[in-house]
Amino acid sequence: MTKRRTSPSTATPKRKNRNFSRRALLGSIGASAALAPFIPMLESQAGGTAAPKRLVLLFSPNGTLHERWAPTGTENDFQLREILSPLEDYKDQMCILDGLEVIRQGLGDGHQKGMACLWTGNQLNAGDFGGGDGGSAGWAGAASIDQAIADRLGNVAAYRSLEFGVQNGGASNWSRMIYAGSDSPVAAENNPEAMFNRLFADLGVDTSELERIKAERRSVLDLVHADLESLQNKYSSSDKAKVEAHLEAIREIEKRNDLATPTCEPPMQDYGLNFDANENFPAVSRLMIDQMVMSLACDLTRVASLQWSRSVSQTEFSWVGAGRHHDLSHLGNEDNTMVTEITAINQWYAEEVKYLLDTMAAIPEGDGTLLDNSLVVWGNELSRGNSHGNHPVPFVTFGSCGGAIQTGRWLTYDRVAHNRLLVSMAQVMDTDIQSFGNNDPGSGGLSGFFT
Amino acid sequence: MQRFILMGAAAGLVGLSGCYSGFDADVNGFGGSSDSNGESDGDSNGNEGGDSDGDIDPDDPASLCMDADVGPTSLRRLTAEQYDHTIRDLLGLDGGYTAEFSPDERIGAFKSNGNAAVVELQVEEYMDAAEAVATDATTDLTVLLPCDAATGDACAEQFLGDFAMRAYRRPLEAGELDRVLAVYQSGKDASDGDMQSGLRVAIAAVLQSPFFLYHVEFGQPSAGDDVVPLGNYELASRLSYFLWDSMPDDALFDAAATGSLETADGVREQVDRMLASPKAQETIASFHQQWLGVDELEHVEKDPELFPLYDSTLAASMKDDVASFAQWVITEGDGNLQTLLTANVTLTDDPRLHELYGVVPPEGRLPGEPIELPADQRAGLLTMPGVLAEHAHPDQTSPILRGVLLRQEFLCQQLPPPPPDVDNVPPSPSPDATTREQFAQHTEDPACSGCHVQIDPLGFGLEAYSSVGAFRTEEDNGLPIDDLGEVVLSDVDGEFQGGVELAGKLAESEFVQDCVSRQWFRYALGRIETEADSCALDGIAEAFNESDQDVRVLLREIALSSAFRFRKGDA
Repeated sequence: MTKRRTSPSTATPKRKNRNFSRRALLGSIGASAALAPFIPMLESQAGGTAAPKRLVLLFSPNGTLHERWAPTGTENDFQLREILSPLEDYKDQMCILDGLEVIRQGLGDGHQKGMACLWTGNQLNAGDFGGGDGGSAGWAGAASIDQAIADRLGNVAAYRSLEFGVQNGGASNWSRMIYAGSDSPVAAENNPEAMFNRLFADLGVDTSELERIKAERRSVLDLVHADLESLQNKYSSSDKAKVEAHLEAIREIEKRNDLATPTCEPPMQDYGLNFDANENFPAVSRLMIDQMVMSLACDLTRVASLQWSRSVSQTEFSWVGAGRHHDLSHLGNEDNTMVTEITAINQWYAEEVKYLLDTMAAIPEGDGTLLDNSLVVWGNELSRGNSHGNHPVPFVTFGSCGGAIQTGRWLTYDRVAHNRLLVSMAQVMDTDIQSFGNNDPGSGGLSGFFT
Repeated sequence: MQRFILMGAAAGLVGLSGCYSGFDADVNGFGGSSDSNGESDGDSNGNEGGDSDGDIDPDDPASLCMDADVGPTSLRRLTAEQYDHTIRDLLGLDGGYTAEFSPDERIGAFKSNGNAAVVELQVEEYMDAAEAVATDATTDLTVLLPCDAATGDACAEQFLGDFAMRAYRRPLEAGELDRVLAVYQSGKDASDGDMQSGLRVAIAAVLQSPFFLYHVEFGQPSAGDDVVPLGNYELASRLSYFLWDSMPDDALFDAAATGSLETADGVREQVDRMLASPKAQETIASFHQQWLGVDELEHVEKDPELFPLYDSTLAASMKDDVASFAQWVITEGDGNLQTLLTANVTLTDDPRLHELYGVVPPEGRLPGEPIELPADQRAGLLTMPGVLAEHAHPDQTSPILRGVLLRQEFLCQQLPPPPPDVDNVPPSPSPDATTREQFAQHTEDPACSGCHVQIDPLGFGLEAYSSVGAFRTEEDNGLPIDDLGEVVLSDVDGEFQGGVELAGKLAESEFVQDCVSRQWFRYALGRIETEADSCALDGIAEAFNESDQDVRVLLREIALSSAFRFRKGDA
């Protein structure tokens, strides 16, 4: 039995991940004419069936400058200032939610809580983050709103949800915002090529080949499923929960494996770039946006998120003439460099949001567009970088979600808990959630936004 | 012994909780931190407890803790490194199958996937990796199979039975082989009876089983006992992932099968054999790179205008430098902690790192041979460029990051995070102030000084090393270096001048010695120690001390300890 084993130093080096099916699948896409322009094929929806509602969460880090973010004017007649000015074209399709507070109770520093509370509205667990940074809290203590909504939407698309990320960093509570549940952070895919393989590799594959792959996976999943079930009852408490989470993931993959491959045109993309390199941050952002929009357009999922960087982001914004984000965000209010460069950075993020909206608005659905049928919510883990504040945290929403939201408004609040926005998001998505997160239990929805 | 109990209590996970008001000592999440003040050590270690059932064996450290508790170990998944090493040892395939895995969690300084549950994306990553491995493994069946492929299913069954056993790191239970064979059969059926396809699919299935992906441990059930011994195969796996960062080999499986791991002598024999194996280099590398935070150094960027020499290739050499130095001391040298902390040697072959060190390798030096470094500039792990570069900003040094490294990872004193609203950005480099002057606010402002007097003076002592770890006599702005530092709250308190003197102090410190044994304990078990581990930890610390701080003895004593060989039973 030992003849094929080799010592660490003599084993033949192998190239990474020569995945038998996906490589083959990609090859066949390349060979076909499938890499057509970025045009979806949604005949069924164009034919008049009501399009589904979609939820998209966006995150950019390190706070904003409220005095350059908040508009001037009145609720229905307002003028955008510097930071949101790239979104001028979407004034009629946005709601600026000004004055919300992300309540932070319990463990964790400002960034940790800002990040983990952003979409969970919930306290953090105790934890072992005891590395060089002195962290003293664990993961979030409950699911984030998108996951709660996805749970309630159930089996409506191939993926319950999809998480896209641009340079999110290692597994810590500073860098994770989506949670499937307590102690269950959902890492976003940061590699655009891996995401492409995950979402689109099956397209264009010969039908009988695809059937073979699916049959193989079915039998593999049967074994994994049975093994997990045999483990499930041998553990208690948190270990049991880990086995159950794994089992749940297997069930999802089993379901998807049995679905017909959706009709969809994968976005044409140029891969092979180092997705971790600072200089590629803008390029990766575009690759991820294209894929996210296509996954929504093709109904691969109803719930998606895009996380740019992470809390305490040190992205260096050389492409807008600015320095490292977190360092800059801490400089004093009277510091012109801080004001100029933090404005430029946040404007850049607004331009990315605009690109996302442009892409969504270019996809016709029924009488409107994909954007019309979506609720896009853009948040941040802080109000302002140099204060680590939790109020007012900048939130902007886009899209009316099929007419459910009256857009084109600047809504002002006086330290209202953002848990209410989370509840409203759930209600817009037609779920029965009445309160969300233990930071503000029993809250109900956000007044004036959606009732 | 008593000395160590007292010292352990003082130097252990004492949260430096009083260093600013408003910080709650209980929040740092480290078990034992708030109650390791010595009240319970006297009787909980059980050493003096002659009231047990007479099974104390002076040669079996675990027997000295038989009445003691052990901390709970949670269900952990393999780390990416463990996954790759295991695939290598299982199938002889090297390489990079985990490149697209989501990042590993850390517990303390060390990678250990023990808290967070997996989500769908990770399970898909496991699927992709397993399919890639299975495809590579089945490209040439004559290499893969121990029998003639022409014999068909019989040969496949022989192979798969052995493969699954080794992949699960234990004998198969009733029905398990049937499950694997069912996958083999359906894989064959899906490809018109092709055996190769059947094997490929069956291998992919085994590699996605939780019994492959997790460190599955139950212990040997023993009615009424809270703390139970690990099963023989479970102990074999703990040993191999601790000492090799990979799965057991045939000899270790044999030791499990014959029951020889049930005795301290049997464990000792395996540990000595394993430490002598080249595979122990993997663990020595992983431990030191993770402990000192350099394991992801190639992702650390530096200001290219200030440090044109630095790039990810040089960073990788710096990271290797830490590993090869530790390997050299522990496997070729005296294995002594003091040597690790003070020897002025590098083994790097990278000419750019030689340049950074300011040394020219001697004429006729062969690759991998030690090069002596200037004794007034370098001393052991702390002054290695990788460690200093990791704990610095892209455009300037960081006495804070370096001080925190010393406080937390060398002294095992957990610091609270800064207060929630503090402005903790480093000041921009200034043309007319030294780093020390720039950080003066930390020690002048009472809101900061409580903690920072414990941090900054340690880091100031390393000011003679630039942001990329090069030795310097002037700061980047041309001002002369002031590297007077001070150690407080330790057993080697006092001022020191520069990194070499500081390293000398660390090498004399029992606090550091105790901390290093705790760090290895964390690495070995993939968890933070708790108060329940105090008997085991005291025994380990004592043996380490008596061995003149031989790290090899430390590793053996950890493997022999009750905390390593026993497990908190399932409720």
